[in-house]
Parts: sequence; C-alpha cells; structure tokens
Amino acid sequence: MESNVDISVEFAGLKLANPVFTASGTCGYADELAEFTDVDSLGGFITKSITAKPRMGNPVPRIVETDSGMLNAIGLANIGLDKFIEEKLPLLQKMKPAVFVNVAGETIEEYVTVVNKLSSEQAIAGFELNISCPNVKKGGITFGTDPVQVKDITSAVKAASGQKILIVKLSPNVTDISVIARAAVEAGADALSLVNTFTAMVIDIERQRPVLANRTGGLSGPAIKPIAVYMVNKVYNEVTKETKVPILGGGGIRNASDAVEFILAGATAVAVGTWNFIIPDCAKKIIGGIEDYCRRKDVSNIKELVGAAG
Amino acid sequence: MTETRATKGDFTAVVTANRHISSCFYKLILQFSEQGAQAFAQTMPGQFAQLDLSGTAPPPAERLNEQQADAVQRGIILRRPYSFCEVTTKDDKTTTVEILYCALGPASLRMTTLKPADKITVLGPLGNGFSIPQGKNTALLVIGGMGAPPIQHLAGVLSMEHSDIYPLVFAGAKTKSKLPFEGRIDEISKEIGFPIHAFARFGVESQIATDDDSAGFHGPVTQCLSQWLEENEVSAEQTIIYACGPEAMLAEVARIANAKKIDCQVSMERRMACGIGICQSCAVECRVGDSGQTEYKLCCKDGPVFDAKEVVFHLEKNGHKL
Repeated sequence: MESNVDISVEFAGLKLANPVFTASGTCGYADELAEFTDVDSLGGFITKSITAKPRMGNPVPRIVETDSGMLNAIGLANIGLDKFIEEKLPLLQKMKPAVFVNVAGETIEEYVTVVNKLSSEQAIAGFELNISCPNVKKGGITFGTDPVQVKDITSAVKAASGQKILIVKLSPNVTDISVIARAAVEAGADALSLVNTFTAMVIDIERQRPVLANRTGGLSGPAIKPIAVYMVNKVYNEVTKETKVPILGGGGIRNASDAVEFILAGATAVAVGTWNFIIPDCAKKIIGGIEDYCRRKDVSNIKELVGAAG
Repeated sequence: MTETRATKGDFTAVVTANRHISSCFYKLILQFSEQGAQAFAQTMPGQFAQLDLSGTAPPPAERLNEQQADAVQRGIILRRPYSFCEVTTKDDKTTTVEILYCALGPASLRMTTLKPADKITVLGPLGNGFSIPQGKNTALLVIGGMGAPPIQHLAGVLSMEHSDIYPLVFAGAKTKSKLPFEGRIDEISKEIGFPIHAFARFGVESQIATDDDSAGFHGPVTQCLSQWLEENEVSAEQTIIYACGPEAMLAEVARIANAKKIDCQVSMERRMACGIGICQSCAVECRVGDSGQTEYKLCCKDGPVFDAKEVVFHLEKNGHKL
C-alpha cells in the first residue's frame, strides 16, 4: 500500500531528495560506483579527499579487517586539485545528488587554496572540511582535536568558500566532541559531519608487529556505530539543536535501521561509508528502507524523526 | 532490439560442489545463471571476483586446531577476492567457475562449510586479466604455491583457443604437499612431462620444483625457469612469461624476463576491501615510463595483472610482509 511519505530534507538551506549521502573515501571522486548502483538516487555525495597537490598515500598494507569493522590508513591518496578539476568536475556536473568536495591539507593555506579554486564551480554544493584524518603526519586530525585550531581553520575556509555550504567533519578522537562541535559552529560551519574514524591498531602476532605499514589506522564499520550514535546525540543535544546547524551522521551504517537510529539521535542526514565497499548498492537500498520505516511508523515527514529519541 | 549484455555486477551464485583436495586446499564450484552467467562467461584468466562469505557459518570447533579456532572466532565483514582456475559456460545460460582455495583464515575456513545448493553473492568479474599479445609462439607459465589457480585458467585457455602457442608450466612449492592441484600428481621426474593432471588433461606440459626436493627439480621455481631458458633456444620476441605467486618470486621472474628481453606479465596480490577501485587499499607501486618516478596503481582496477617492467616489487619493507 502506497502512502505519501516525504523523505526529502533541508540541509543547510539545501533541499535534498532524501537524507542519504555516501561518505568521503568510500564512493570515489564521481561516477566510479555507477557501474554497480544508481548514484543519482542519492541525496548527497561526498568526494574522496582532495588536496592542493596530488598525494601518493601510505605504503601497503593500508587496511586490515577487524571484528565488525576495518582499519584503514590510506593516507589521503588523491589525484590533486588540478586533475580533479580537469577530469572529475565535468562528471560531477552531470550528477543529481548534492555534491560536496572533501578538502584536506597540511596547512590552513592549503585548505584555502583548494576551496578558493572550487568556490565558484556550479557542479558542487559545498565542501566537507576534513580536519579529522588520523592517517597523515601533518594536518588532518591535528587540526580537529584542538578547538582553537578548529576555529581558525573553519573561519578561514568559510571566508574562502563564498556561497557554498561548509560542512566540518569531526574526529571522535577527542575528550569532548561537543567542545569541538561548538568551536566549528561558532566559526561559521553550516553543518557538522560526524564521526570520522577512531584511531586503532591491529598487531600481527606471528610477526609481532602492527599489521598496517602506518602502524595505526582509522577504525570504521559496524564496530563503531553505537559510539557514533552516542556522539551524534551528544552534539545534537549540547550544540546543534539550539543553533539549528544540521548534522550529517554516520559510522558503521549498513542498512535503513542503522540510518534511522542516527536520525533519531539527531542527524538531519546520514552518510554511508564502509558498507559501500561491501555492497556497492547499499545506499540505494537504505533510501527505500527509510521510506518503508516511515510508512510503518506512520511518519509523513522524515523531519519529525530528527532527534526524536531525545 | 538487443538486450544489453551484462558485463559485471553483484550476482547470486549457487554452490554445486565444495571438496577437500589435499592439505589445506579445497575446490569450490559455483554456478551462475541468467545475467551472472553472461557476465562470468567473459572472464579472462587472472580476473577475479569478490565473494561475500559473511553469512557463511564457521566450521564446527572439533574440526579445527587451536589457531584455526581462534581465526574463525573473528567476525568477517569484507568480501574476499578470488581468481578462478577454470571457467566454463553453456551458451552463456549457465556459467560455472571453479575456485581453488587454501583454508587458513576466518573467511576461507568459513568457506569450507558451503555445500551444494547454498547461495552466495559474488561481485565480478573484476580487474584486468592476462592478455595474449600477437606474435607469440611460446608461453612460459610460472607458478609459486597458491599462485596456481589463475595460471591454470590461463593454461586451459591457451591450449583450447591458441593452438599456435606452446604453453609450458613451471610449478613451484615449498614441498610436494603444498602443490595446489586437484587430480593425481604422478610420480614426478626431474624432467618436463605431464606430472600434473590439471595441465596434462589439456595436453599442457609442466615441470615441478620443490624447495625441499620432495618432488621434481630441487630448488626455487625461478631457478628452474632460468635453467630451461639457458638450455632452450627461444626467440625472445615470440616468447611471453606469465607468473603468479609470492612477490619475491615475481620479482625474480621479472628480473629473468628483463635480462632475456622477454615480455612478462605478473599477477599481483594485495589486501583489498572493495575490489572496484574505491577504497584505495591495494596500492601497487609502478614506474611512470622512464621518468624515474613512481606512482601507486590499484591492484583491483589497474591489475591484478601488470606488465612486469612496470612494477616496483616490495619484498619486505620495515618488517612488513606485503
């Protein structure tokens, strides 16, 4: 039985067809997943991190599986800004979902360079500021764990981003994520994205050394979901409920039930990450599943669910 | 109007057999129908597929040793990449793929419990397989241990579809029991012949090499290859070497091929998450032309088969086995 369910959402002033994003680093730069799923069905799409210059990334092994999760230490391998503009932007132009470019760097200037150059591009709706990558020696997480630096980088990038939406992606590797969230919001973030991966280690007991060449990596997947849900709920209640800044919530989402949990915790939209590696078509299924949930619960508009868990 | 032919995707496969072969080796046979049959009918030797084994039960504890019991306690979420030792199709309507695997870790031990009529989802076929350039009349196929399956697939294709090419297999392992082949392995002489049924049935000759002298040539398979090249006059231009095995072996095969100016393709292995070029896990360091610079390519999408001249082999770096 069909009933009218509205799962479109308003995200930082942007109207999205549905609340489901694919997370940075799990869906390529543009149309790489197109062979396996209908990318146009997504609400939002976040590119792999772009830095001003190309980066080779870390030596291998770059990943290791864990119970209910995986560690990665890719090291922001990417084609660099120029090649991104030349090869990927034209593809992004053709995509239906709202496209956000994930931006990373070693210095504030590097972030600003990338954002400046992309700020007038029609193909993109905004930026996701990666200040939470645990796998690089400079930049990344070092910006994201200190509220003063979060403020500085957020305001600098906001000033460079023109009319584009600025999402700040938070690291969970902090004592109090609300302190960081508040710093980002006060410095002008239009939305918050949480959480990035948890710093973790796996040791090979035969070789008696860490498995990853980088020694540590970022833990993602279902293993982190309850912690991510908690952090979204904490930031929602302590920071964004009042300031009306939307949260893009994620961490271990596999299916519509997981996605709904994040929305009930306070997320306006959700990002599917690691599971894209396993079921390339999963985001599309999640969109349908959210609709089914709304019908089952007699919810006519998904906005009613945001933060409904209290 | 013609229907678009399926080239790759996430398909359901039905298990038709899963049998123990010897030591840790098993053979899993999967059957695809409809679109999956079409897609997998086109599989090139060296291509692979991502098997979802997350829903497959672990074997009962009494069948496992302590290490295996620890291994299967760990949950799995990622798919596992496997290449094939044989692919056959009946008019694109039913395609059968054979996977020869070694049951060692949490996923491959689970795999042993699959039984006929079970279903699993399989993403593929993925990556780039071996290519067969024009003008070759001799193909030297070099195997190190578990590198056997895609080379076996290639040997089958060469013998059935390329009668102008003489294929010769060099199969190496630490010891005789670690030769991953189904079917009888005859009394093995030190000479080339038909000791391995898996190749003999196609009329393909082979020579075995073992590190411990338990069968065939005594020594590394690369030495066996070298010796053969010294003793036999081949035209470098008309010869090609294909290899799959441990990275140190591939590096040595590449060195030998390069010294003799013989074309060489190697099938690489890396830890993978997605298998479709998204996660960037499976980096392979490659030379950029003659610039002296290198770049990372992806084993899943740019490989797993690479031109040997291109690859910067990593034997052991900072104590990390690759």
